[in-house]
Amino acid sequence: MTVEPPDEVLMQQVRAGNVRLLSVLFDRHHVALFLFYVRMTGDRAWSEDLVQEVFYRILKYRASYQDGAPFATWMYRIARNTHFEQRGRRRRETPIEDGWDTPGRAGIPLEQHQEQMLLRRALLELPHPQREVLLLSRYQNLKYEQIAALLGCEVAAVKVRVHRALSSLREIFFQLSGRKAS
Amino acid sequence: MTCEEARDQMLAGSGGELEEHLRACAACREEAALWNGLGNLRDEQPGPGLRARFEAMLAAEERRRSWLEGWWPRRPALQFACALAMTALGALAGWGAGRQPARVPELAQLRDEVRNLRETLAVSLLQQPSASERLRGVNSSYRLEQPDDEVTSALLDALVRDPSVDVRLAALDALRRYANGRAVRQGLAGALARPQSPLVQIGLMDALVELREPIAAPALERLARDPAANDTVRQRARWALDQLGAKGVLQ
Repeated sequence: MTVEPPDEVLMQQVRAGNVRLLSVLFDRHHVALFLFYVRMTGDRAWSEDLVQEVFYRILKYRASYQDGAPFATWMYRIARNTHFEQRGRRRRETPIEDGWDTPGRAGIPLEQHQEQMLLRRALLELPHPQREVLLLSRYQNLKYEQIAALLGCEVAAVKVRVHRALSSLREIFFQLSGRKAS
Repeated sequence: MTCEEARDQMLAGSGGELEEHLRACAACREEAALWNGLGNLRDEQPGPGLRARFEAMLAAEERRRSWLEGWWPRRPALQFACALAMTALGALAGWGAGRQPARVPELAQLRDEVRNLRETLAVSLLQQPSASERLRGVNSSYRLEQPDDEVTSALLDALVRDPSVDVRLAALDALRRYANGRAVRQGLAGALARPQSPLVQIGLMDALVELREPIAAPALERLARDPAANDTVRQRARWALDQLGAKGVLQ
């Protein structure tokens, strides 16, 4: 059985000049990164651009990758910076109309589909920093220590931020659904 | 168990006491349901174009590296000698240029060369694999008072074909400045006839109304009637037709 080399070893080799190995890192991470951006922005086309831009910057700034640094943390730091820079240039972050870039309903019951649509809308209405910390902790397979390093705060502070974000999400979700939260 | 402890357990994904707390606390139960709901959100996949663009970017970098490696010597002593020779060459060229008296025709020629260089830079940046670099290309076209055909056609190409919506929007903004040219106006009207992102379509319609461009009318009519088009786009097309009609441009 062959053991796949960890991300960090691959990135060291990319830095040393074997740039072809970046495609292995792309295979491992591009879908998760795309989903992070889609949930941050609600915009598929822009999310694809952002993913492309992140891998372009990884390639361009490969010499700045430090030995021993977790690759995922480094990549998400680049991802956050890229998004931050492009948001300023972007005229609007949310789609033109509700349900703009949402996936189809095929295969799931109508009620469940509507709940998911509502949850996506509620996510997009969360303030940007809350949405980001919630997505990083829920989806990106990052440890709290990694998120803390990424956001430049303590692990305890990350947990408090996630709790607050979830609490805000609950309020928005119930507001949108017309139901009353407990 | 307090709500805070329950939330910690929920984030850690552990059960036991948490279940007990959730039965008693409605607010935590709702948050737990949302947390699970987030986990069950239907996953989307990026389009196949993303991988193709990544592969193209990687191939371009490999080509660039192999060219550099072929040209630059491997031995440190030779690298040092090469750097020294280039420095000496640069100093010599600078010294020689400083001794030449400045003449007006030469200055004009120099200005032309700078202008050509800027045009070449804008066009080559527009062909880069990174969307940010292409945006730089669009922005660099602003430094040209009146770009030549090559730059405007590169901008029109970006407006229609660029995979990034941001680049297409930026190209549209840049082209609006040069819309006194017939080719640019025709290019803008032509771009409206192609399948596009609604953001770009709306921007195009606004530009064409501003220019009072009658050749856009057939494309606008098609859009206004297209059942597959976005509602906002259809409404905007009707508005644009009204605007053009109100000014007596339409037949």
